[in-house]
Amino acid sequence: MAVMKLLISLLTLGLMISCTTNVQVEGSVPTPLVAKIPANVAVYYDENFKTFVHTEELDTEGTWIINLGEKNLEFFRNLSNAMFSSVTEVDSPELTPEQQVQFDGLIIPTIDEYGFLTPKIGVLPFYSVSIRYQVLVLGKQNQRVAKYEVVGYGKSEGNSFTAGDAVGDATMLAIRDGGQQIAVELRHQPAIIEWLKQRNLD
Amino acid sequence: MLSVAKVYKAQLQVILMTMLLMGCASARIQQSRTATTGMTTEESLVILSRTSYNERETEESFTDCLSDALSGGRTPIRLMSEAEFKDQLYPWFEPRTAPDSSDDLARLFAQPGVQQRIDENNVRYIAWIDGDTITTDRGGSFSCTVSTVGGGCFGVTYWEEDASYEAAIWDLQNLTTAGEISADASGTSYIAGLVLPIPIMARPGNAACKALALQLKEFLQAEG
Repeated sequence: MAVMKLLISLLTLGLMISCTTNVQVEGSVPTPLVAKIPANVAVYYDENFKTFVHTEELDTEGTWIINLGEKNLEFFRNLSNAMFSSVTEVDSPELTPEQQVQFDGLIIPTIDEYGFLTPKIGVLPFYSVSIRYQVLVLGKQNQRVAKYEVVGYGKSEGNSFTAGDAVGDATMLAIRDGGQQIAVELRHQPAIIEWLKQRNLD
Repeated sequence: MLSVAKVYKAQLQVILMTMLLMGCASARIQQSRTATTGMTTEESLVILSRTSYNERETEESFTDCLSDALSGGRTPIRLMSEAEFKDQLYPWFEPRTAPDSSDDLARLFAQPGVQQRIDENNVRYIAWIDGDTITTDRGGSFSCTVSTVGGGCFGVTYWEEDASYEAAIWDLQNLTTAGEISADASGTSYIAGLVLPIPIMARPGNAACKALALQLKEFLQAEG
């Protein structure tokens, strides 16, 4: 009887595991070919950004666990290094008095929202992902200079057997798309132009 | 009895031959040239697929087929992969930033490092691939059954596909459009169930790929 119970438990566990799709986001991390913004900035990544995991239970497709934190962080570290003259990672969302002397400002990127669609629940025959990023730019005195929001979008072909890979690929494309908008457009935001002008950095 | 079996066999052969013939797909090619071309063995071509945010998009399998066909054969063309090219020139060939026409190339080349990166990789041409394969019709009836005494498939099902692709070739040395080539193919595929399922695939996408690759090779390698 005990053996029977054990078998049933193992079978149930097996079924639960088989209904969970674990996605580890992978892909290349390109260095943007953009002119550097002439500013010496600090960057703060909060824990949610560093270890971002999206978990969602879908009625028809079980539980999805999408781990994008590691690749996203690697991407943004590379991105910020390419965008500014000098970048230093700090461990607080506010500049200390010493740091206020050292840096022109503080950049805080965050992930506000992650969403994905599969062909079964969406209207497109693709796996698609969108990530809403927010980039907060603070000045020397920790005053808000700009808040810039972008939505990165990615889609990938796939079928039921490669659904995990397709969502992973679409997530990587969404990270690239969000990064591309930040790399190209952030410098053209009126608040950023004004900030650089005030700091005599333009 | 023997003659009836022979008649059935002959009829079956006729049906299969007819389906095989109908299962073939042939491609139509059209080309327009607006500039002279030619490339050395050191120069590379990049095959890029147009990315859009709607449901129509060139299949990865088509660009893979095109790359294989161009980089093989007696006169292979040197290719740089799409992924590597996009990484090297990030963020300028992403869906939102990729140039729409060759007129935008001058603006793109003004971006820091872009010209240098193109030169380092010796990329002479870009071929933008647009198009897809769609199913235009389907019908028939086909079913398979399995039982304790055996099983089998019976019936015929068919589907008609239309493949339509276009390549716009940009010359990165002269910053112009060198020309355009289009390939169209259509064909009907069948699965006939005669105990065992017999698939007869037309593969118009593959026919369009081979025809486009052949024409693209001629277009780029012929001085003219």
